[in-house]
Amino acid sequence: MNALTLTLKLNLQVTQASKIDSNKINCSRLTPNSLANLSITEIENFSLFNTKNSLKIADYFDVSGTDTNHIIFKNSNAQLEYIGHKMSSGQITVEGDSGNFVGCKMQGGTIICQGNTGDRVGDQMRRGLILIDGNAGSYCASRMVAGTIGVYGSVAGYVGFGMKRGTILLTKTPNLHATIQNCGTHTLPFLALLFQHFAAFSTRFNGLNNQRVQRYAGDLSSNGNGEILVLLS
Amino acid sequence: MQLNGIQIDDTFAEAFNMRGTRVIITALNLKWAYHAANAMTGFATSVIGCGVEAGIERELLASETPDSRPGVSVLMFAMGSKVLMQQLETRMGQCILTCPTAAAFAGIESEDQINLGKHLRYFGDGYQTSKLISDINGVAKRYWRIPVMDGEFLVQETTGMVRAIGGGNFLILANAQQAALNAAEAAIDAMKKVPNVIMPFPGGVVRSGSKVGSKYPKMFASTNDAFCPTLKGLVNTELSDDIESVMEIVIDGLSFDDIATSMRVGIQAICDLGEASGVKRISAGNYGGKLGPHHFKLHEIMGTI
Repeated sequence: MNALTLTLKLNLQVTQASKIDSNKINCSRLTPNSLANLSITEIENFSLFNTKNSLKIADYFDVSGTDTNHIIFKNSNAQLEYIGHKMSSGQITVEGDSGNFVGCKMQGGTIICQGNTGDRVGDQMRRGLILIDGNAGSYCASRMVAGTIGVYGSVAGYVGFGMKRGTILLTKTPNLHATIQNCGTHTLPFLALLFQHFAAFSTRFNGLNNQRVQRYAGDLSSNGNGEILVLLS
Repeated sequence: MQLNGIQIDDTFAEAFNMRGTRVIITALNLKWAYHAANAMTGFATSVIGCGVEAGIERELLASETPDSRPGVSVLMFAMGSKVLMQQLETRMGQCILTCPTAAAFAGIESEDQINLGKHLRYFGDGYQTSKLISDINGVAKRYWRIPVMDGEFLVQETTGMVRAIGGGNFLILANAQQAALNAAEAAIDAMKKVPNVIMPFPGGVVRSGSKVGSKYPKMFASTNDAFCPTLKGLVNTELSDDIESVMEIVIDGLSFDDIATSMRVGIQAICDLGEASGVKRISAGNYGGKLGPHHFKLHEIMGTI
């Protein structure tokens, strides 16, 4: 089966665009668990919002493929928000940029972002993996409960704000707020397992084998059991 | 039956149902993986006094272990699941948690899972963290990271527990103690290459085979006098005049076929030494077939060569 591919239409009809308040597109219902067992016709007619007059998936996307366990967003840009909201299994691949709240309240599964993401990636995320090849906006992993987020590019301010547990893997040291504490440099054996898992996905994280990291713990204003690991070369 | 001048008795080894598990121990290098595994499998020769029977199954290359470090696989067997769980947790806590650089992972798949690091994590005093990481098959496994003084102790939450067999055995009857020992060593060297089995006694060999019961009411096992060479004139002996020493190799394994294979390999290694080695007979220990459901008939095992 081919992955379910949602290709964002380049020239959205003005009438359709005018039906929503802004040019943002809420993708919170476009997850493997929401679309499981639906036919391609049902998916095309699937409402973006759970309301009577809601716009349909086909109003915004060209739909192809049948494997709802892996959803690919093509032509994606920062309009697409809440990608992977509350998703619990499967994989979402975003070919392009994405908007705010990627992986918000995520319960499991994997999100691969091949471009940049907006603010609050993994907000209140509880489980699962988000890998971002590009940059992430501010408040990345805010209020994170657990799980793993990797950002290969840079992250804006307030990363891990209010995080309780979980791991954020970075390649560059970010600006950190006061309640994230430096725990020093370490070689962490569990990263070998994590990198093996990363190898299953086509990302810039593929081929990592350096287990040497600068470890920051936080957010001490919450639980303080979260960590930000910055890979050292 | 004669093999290369050595008599194979028409008898059988009697073995019992056990519960078994496998744990993969890794460390910074093989030396420290062995330190951890040797400690974990120490004092684990017989369920009679040790609770479990355990041993190192084999060395693992870095490419074979979950964290890509060198390691060894350990097999552990007990008469019941409860004892196995208790012993595994105790030995994990005292031998693996304590050993520098060591990590522990599940070594066997099963629906029945027993705790590896599930309770050990509380040693972290609230600083422990867990990671749910998928393996190459996409199955998520939970690992615990426990802060310790040398860095971080990484341990998988559970490992599998399977039905297994313990007590496969054969006896080496020789005309001298040195001859019996040489033959036993040759057998163990060959049997160590067989997967899914361990020989839990010191060096894989036991010299104090036992019989059920004793003249002393509180003892439920005592020396196997029928095979004690110094008692030849006193008891109903199994030994001919030319036998001066008997040694036994006990095998625990994950399946009947694994134990049968290791017995065949071991006995064959002894028979390859030939008559000149001083080995006269190969026999096996049993209780008349009344106690253990698994019978390893020597002639059947060696007849399949």
